[in-house]
Order: sequence, then C-alpha cells, then structure tokens
Amino acid sequence: MIRYTQISGEITELSDLPFWKKAGAVDLAYVGYGLVIVTLVVASYCLGSLNLLPHNPDDIDLELMMAPPLTPGHLLGTDFMGRDMLSRLIVGIQAYFLPGLLAVLISLVFGTVFGVLAGYRGGRSDTVITYINNLVDSFPRLVLILLVIAAFKPDIYYIMLVVGLTNVPVVASLVKGKILFLKQKNFIEADISLGLPTSTIILQHILWHNCRAALIIQATLGMAEAILMETSLSYLGFGVQEPTPSWGNMVQAGANYFMQGKFWPSTAPALAILFTILGFHLLGDGLNNLLEGKRDA
Amino acid sequence: MTTTPLLRVEDLRTYFYSQSKRAFIRSVDGVGLSIAKGETLGIVGESGSGKSITALSVMGLISAGPGVISGRIEFTTNGVKKELLQDLGTYVKVANKENRIMEIDKDVLGWERNVERVMHGVRGKEIAMIFQNPKSSLNPFTTVGDQITEAIQLHTPVKSEQEARERAIDWLDRVKIDSPRLRYDNHPYSLSGGMCQRAMIAMALACEPQLLIADEPTTGLDATIQAKIADLLAELKAELGITTMLISHDISIISRLSDSVAVMYGGTVVENGPAKTVLAVAQEAKHPYTTALLASIPSAKNVTDKGYLQAIEGDVLDTINIPEGCRFYGRCVRVTDKISDSCEHREPDLREIGPGHRARCWLYFDPV
Amino acid sequence: MTKTILEVIDLKKHFTSRKGIFSSFRERQSIPAVDGASFYLKENETVGLVGESGCGKTTIGRTIVRLEKPTSGKIIFDGKDITNVPTGDLRQLRGQMQMIFQDLDAALNPKMRIRDILREAINVHHKISDAETDKRIAGLLEQVNLKKSKLGNYPQELSGGEKRRVGVARVLSVGAKFIVADEPTSALDVSIQAQVVNLFRDLQKELGLSYLFISHDLRVVELISRKVAVMYLGKIVEMGLADRIANKAIHPYTHILWSSLVEKQSTEVTRNVRPAQAGSWGVFDFERPVAGCRFAPRCPVYESHGKPAVCIDPSSEPQLLDIGDGHKVACHFPL
Repeated sequence: MIRYTQISGEITELSDLPFWKKAGAVDLAYVGYGLVIVTLVVASYCLGSLNLLPHNPDDIDLELMMAPPLTPGHLLGTDFMGRDMLSRLIVGIQAYFLPGLLAVLISLVFGTVFGVLAGYRGGRSDTVITYINNLVDSFPRLVLILLVIAAFKPDIYYIMLVVGLTNVPVVASLVKGKILFLKQKNFIEADISLGLPTSTIILQHILWHNCRAALIIQATLGMAEAILMETSLSYLGFGVQEPTPSWGNMVQAGANYFMQGKFWPSTAPALAILFTILGFHLLGDGLNNLLEGKRDA
Repeated sequence: MTTTPLLRVEDLRTYFYSQSKRAFIRSVDGVGLSIAKGETLGIVGESGSGKSITALSVMGLISAGPGVISGRIEFTTNGVKKELLQDLGTYVKVANKENRIMEIDKDVLGWERNVERVMHGVRGKEIAMIFQNPKSSLNPFTTVGDQITEAIQLHTPVKSEQEARERAIDWLDRVKIDSPRLRYDNHPYSLSGGMCQRAMIAMALACEPQLLIADEPTTGLDATIQAKIADLLAELKAELGITTMLISHDISIISRLSDSVAVMYGGTVVENGPAKTVLAVAQEAKHPYTTALLASIPSAKNVTDKGYLQAIEGDVLDTINIPEGCRFYGRCVRVTDKISDSCEHREPDLREIGPGHRARCWLYFDPV
Repeated sequence: MTKTILEVIDLKKHFTSRKGIFSSFRERQSIPAVDGASFYLKENETVGLVGESGCGKTTIGRTIVRLEKPTSGKIIFDGKDITNVPTGDLRQLRGQMQMIFQDLDAALNPKMRIRDILREAINVHHKISDAETDKRIAGLLEQVNLKKSKLGNYPQELSGGEKRRVGVARVLSVGAKFIVADEPTSALDVSIQAQVVNLFRDLQKELGLSYLFISHDLRVVELISRKVAVMYLGKIVEMGLADRIANKAIHPYTHILWSSLVEKQSTEVTRNVRPAQAGSWGVFDFERPVAGCRFAPRCPVYESHGKPAVCIDPSSEPQLLDIGDGHKVACHFPL
C-alpha cells in the first residue's frame, strides 16, 4: 500500500522551496557524507603541507610496531616500522590531491571547450572533434600510462596528465550532448534571435544553467577515479615510491604482514581509500539527484 | 424506454500526485457519463479538463499513482454487464478531510494486476482506442499491415495468417488508403500523418469492437487531412453504426460527428445533452463555460464590433488548486448578485435543465 | 502613404543534404524549401502566411530574420538591403526585427526565473540601470497582461497562455517594430488563443507593430491579417486581401483549404482532392520531382480539365499574376 497525503493550506510552488526541502533524504545524506569526506581530505592536505602532524611520518619506533588504534600517542596506531599511522595517512593525501585536481581540471577545461566547439559550431568542427574523441577513447589508458612511466619517470603528475587527457572525450561528449538537446528545444535559436552575444549564450545559458550539474558530477567522479588510479599504481610500485607515503604503497608494504595475522598496516590505508572514494562517488550521485532533480507533473 | 447504455461511468475519480507540491492533481474529479449503443458521444474540453484521462481510465491504462480511486464503469454488451473497476474498494482507502479527499492509501501494484485481469479480452476486442499523434502511436519497427493482422489474430476468431492478412487489406481499403496492398508493407515512417491515422482506425475497427474511443483523432494533422478523417469517421459511423466516444478540443469535429455532447472543465462534466442543444449558439439554457467557449472560437461571427475576439479572462483551471465552489467562478461573466455567494462557496451538482439536458450551474436551480 | 517596412523579392532557400558520406558535391540533394517568394509588408500592417506543413512558411519567416541564410533573392528591410548583411552586423538588425517561436518553451530557459529572463532580454540592447530595468519589466507585464506575481516563478510553473505572453514580452523588450510570429496560437487552448489574438491586436495598435503572421489556423489568420499569402511546396500560389482569399479564392488549393474547415461538409471540389503522397520532406517527394505546377498531381481542376499538358510542362510553371486590387494568383486555370 502506498500512502499519498495532501496537507491542506497553501500549496507550495516549486520556486518557493529552498533546495534542501525539495530533495529526498537519501540524496541529502549522500551529499552530506561526501562533503564530510571532502572537508577531511582538504583539511588533512593543508595539515600535511604545513607539517602540522602529530608525529613525523618517518619516525621509526621499533618498540611500538603494529600497535592497534587508540594506543596512547598514536590515534590510529602504528605501522610495521612503528611509524605513526595517522601522520602517514595525512601525508599520503598529498600523493593524490593536487595531481587529482590537475587531472580533473584538464579533463573539464579541454572537454568543455571541445564539447562546445563540436556542439555549437557543428559541421566540420564537429567531425574533427568526434574523430579525435574516438581516437583517444580507444586508447588503452593503462598502457599509455605505463608508456609514459617508462619513457619519462614514475612522476604522479605525468600520470595524472594522461588520466586527465584520456577523460576529455567523456566530458566533451557530455557537453556536446547537452548542447544538441538544447538546440532541439529551440533555445539557442531564440537566444540568437534575441541578439544575445555568443559569449553570453555559451557561458551562461549553456554551461552555467544547463551543464553545471553534469560538470560538477564529472569533477567528483574524476577525482574518485584519480585517487583510484594513483593508489593502484602506487600499490603496483609504479607510482609514488617508498619511503614517501602513499595510501597505495602503504597497502603494498603492509601486505607481507597480512599473512602473519597483522592486519592493521594494510587495512588502515585500504579503509581510507575505500571511504574516500565512496565519499566522492556518493557526493556525485547525491548532487546529481539534487541538482538535476526529478521533476514531476 | 430505457435501455441499458453500452457504457456508463459513475462518479469516476482519477488522481495523480505531485511530489514537488505534495498535493493531488485531481484530473478527473467525479465524472459521470453514459453512451447508448450506436450513439456518438463527443467530449469537449480544454487542457486540464480531464477528458483524455477519463478515456484512459476507462481503458485501464493509468499507471501513475494513485490513479483511479473511486467510481464505477459499467460496460454492457449482449445483455452481459461487466464492471470494469471491480473490487476497487479492496485496493484503495480514501480519507476525507475538510470535505475533500486528502489521504489515499492504494495498493498500486495489486490494482494494476487486477486491472489486467479484468481488461483482458476487453481491450482491443470490446473497446478499441485510437490516439492523437498517429505516427508515434504505431509501432515504428513493424509494418502497418503486420500490426493490423496481429490485432485481428488476437481479437477475432480469424486465426489463420492468410485470412487475417486479407481482412487487414480489406480494412485498409475501407479506410480509403490508396494501394492497400502496397501500403500493407509500409512502415509508419513512410506514411504521412493522415495515412497513419487511417491505419490506426483500421486497426481499431478490424476487430469489430463494441465501443471505439477516439482521443483527439484529428489534432496535429493538416487542415485538409483533418477534414478527410472527419469524413471517414462520419462514413464509418453511418456504415457500421459503431458506438463512439469522441474526445477533442476542436468543437467543429465534435459538432460534425456527435449525437450527444459532454462539456468538461477542471475535471468534471459541466454540461451534457444532445449535440444540437449543447452546441447551439443561443445562450439561454446553457452552462456559462459552454457559451463562453463557443463564443471564443475565431470566426467572423464571433468578432465584436471593435474587432476583438471574445476571450475568456483568466487561465484554465489548474487541477491542483481546486476552489471551494464552482470551478468556473472567477472567469464566469454571467454571475448574478443573488447566486454569487453560492457560486463562490458551494459546487453545484449536475442537474437537469431541459429534456435530456443537464448543467452544473446555480443559474438554473435554487442553491437552497 | 504608409511606408513599406519589408519587401521580399524572389526569395529562395534551398537546403542541401548529402546523399551519403562519400557523395561528391554534385550528388547533393537540394530541398527547395522556399522557391521564389515575393511579397511586401507595410508599416502597422499584418500579413498572414498560410499553408500546410512542409510548405515553407516557417522557413520564410526564419530566413527573413536571418536565422537561415537565403540562397538567393533579396530581403529589403526598412529601405535597406539586408540579404547579405554579415553576421557581425546582425545584432543591430535584431534590435528591429524579432521572431516569436512556435514552441512555447523556446525562449524560456527552465532554470531561470521569469524576472531574470526579462532582465536579460532588456539588457541586451539597452544599457540601463537596474531600477530602470525593473520599471520597464513592470511596464511590459502590464502590456501583455501578466500578473506581477509570476516574476518569481520558473517557466514550468506557468500555463501555456502565460508562457506565450512571457515570450511576447521578451520580444517586445527589445523594441522591435517588426515581428515574425510563427504559429503563435498553435499550442494553446481555444479560449486562450482568443486572448493571445486580442493581445496581438492591442499591441499592434499601441506600439505600431507590423506582423508577419505564420499559421496553419485559417480562421485566426483570416481575422487578424489584412493580406494573406497562401503557400504550397515553397511557392506562393495566391495572395490578396484576407476577405478575398477566404471567401473568393480562385486558386484551387486555396479554395480547398478554406472549404475543408471541418465544420463544412465536403463539397465536390474537396472530395476530389487526392491525398498528398508521403515523401521524405513533408509532402515533397524528391524521387519524382514535379514538373510545372506543383499542385497538379492533387488538383481536381487539373483532373476535370482532362489533364492539360500546360499544367505539367516544366517551362510553363504558373507565375504569380496580378489580377487587380493586389490580388495575385499563380494558376493556369483559376476558378
């Protein structure tokens, strides 16, 4: 049985409600969790770069190896060399934060430009850009990354550059799709007919009003993907190298001790990866529902 | 002499729910009509009047929630009466607050299953429906002929492919499609709008239903084609004597084809009766909405001496914010001081104001 | 003598479509959406353009406001030849001629409130202060009869009639004197259509506007226009004063159009019209291009005169001939 209720009194109009009332509770929860994660990440990054850490991440304390969480002095315990886990996790964020941002920025900026060119101009621009898109799309990304690593060095920034570039087609086709949709609705034509300058049409009407939700979501997904990329590569030994902490190589280093029954050195960074990526994904999902909105009748 | 009408709808209510406004959209809010065998009932109304939803409710094609919540639809063929909204009470609980339905509990899935059970063997076979936008109402992936043949095999005793095919071609010819044998193998995209509509009419009538529901059959077609479809429907009506429920916002086709007319506004029937009476231009015994609607049609005789059309002020009723009193109050120009209080606070019911002619207006009977 | 605000001379708009990816230039199909239309429009006058779907009336409207580039011919607006105005200078032109679109939602961005939509429209061509803009918006609302409370709403919350009125307000805010209205009443309920027609009439009187009124609704066009041009497959087949066209039409197609208003019973003439053949572009079938008069395949007069050769002779395509009082018709056997 589904229950439908109407409360008597003034029936509200959509435009009167602030956005948090229009949304479903689940979406708000997602966004809330996502925002918490983002805040933690940014805050930790700042702490890390300012060296405001509880302990020096390289300080080895052989007496306190693999201590469990909540040991006095070590909130999250220590790893197999007695180094403070919390400090290492915080510093580990530096491995992916800025590089991830780089990837996201590249994919968004280039993707939007290409998408607008292809969708708005159409014709030859469209054909050329679609061709390039298809080309880049068909490239095996991991192979490309390994090539870059072999050709240059395992610098995480180079890797993220590749990740960003290979994401450009996704964003481009997203933007192009939106523009084609708007064209169908005579939107863009009416704006031209009114005499609006092209820059206003593109920047305001198309991108800001119609694409911003999708682009924000692409940003969150892009970040999540960047984190996954970085941690995976570091785990495999191609990314950030020891002793610089990265969540990926921390998992790798603690892996040997897994078999001995000492789970914590691997589990802690693994959990960090899990919760962070989950946070970004849920943020994207929640924002999608909030911003795009499921409108009815 | 009272013979049982072929279709009788009583107090039908179909509501939808708006999540964003947390309120009911009262699309059909207590509609009653009846169609006698061989009669064509024309339902006139503008957007929001609920005419299409009424037809869909009869066919059991409402899937959004809550959907049909009360009413009775009696379909009588060959002396056998069938209640199309069987057991509605067991799936719906309605709670009234402040004289209006404010809470509905409905087992949506269960009701859908029930409807499928009841309407099986009725849809397509006993009651057939044709829709607006014929191009998008036909299956774009199969040929027009195959669609008709499929319908024939499903709903008539003719089961052999060969025979059904011949019948389909015969019907395509009857609806005046040129070269029916060639057109049989055409897909809908190769046919023009008018031809698709003819094909849809063929598909509906080939199964020889008892009742044909035509929902805006000429809207969206070119002017010359509209006239031809109207001609076709008139011819088929004379030839087959088929009972029809014709829904349209175009008064000209309603007046051309209907025997009796029901005028709908804001989810209710505001006037019904014989076509000649309801659609007559004279004002005396008619619902103000009907007279205003007829007067607003662009034509030479409706233009005032200053050259203006007689528009109805205000906007068509929004079926979420239903007023307390008469739904047309606020746009009505024939309100008098004597009844204005009743018009504002109490909704009149549909009462007889002439032989076979009913209207929902305080002008014609005492509010007391 | 009122001046002529718009003159269109032998306007042609052909759309080219490729036959396939590897087609050469020669193989391109040309869809002659508008194939040589000529008419003129005087200040403060309404000219109606009617025809069935696919006849090119919308394309003419779009070409005149330069949403499409004309293939050939001349468009003279307010004395100036604007046929080949470069895109950069179009903006200034847009301040003087505007288009109202068939789609009610066309000009209304669903993410913007009505207030912002109108503000933006005003600020395109006029650089004025915020207070002045708000005053103008209030004035516009009054002109189009829209309630102030609607300013804070989004377009989805407006009814069809209100959306149409916001569209009109948006166009008026630019200050144009010439408006191409493409099917302004089509998507609206009958009682609202009357409101919109009255509104157009009021605005024309108040602001001295000139309209090119494109519609397939013959009744509305008859009432609001002074002159009416009837189009068929890209060509104007008859043109003249509205009353003449509606009641004393002499081109068979015009006669059929007006007689086929549904409330009338079919006459001998209308019953004998053959339906249009389905083709790839509305009613135009490229595979068998029509030679000579385009209406011949459907024309009952052509049939009844024993299919005279002159009607389908490619060299004697009927031209628009003036038969007095500005009444022009393109037919070899006018009724």
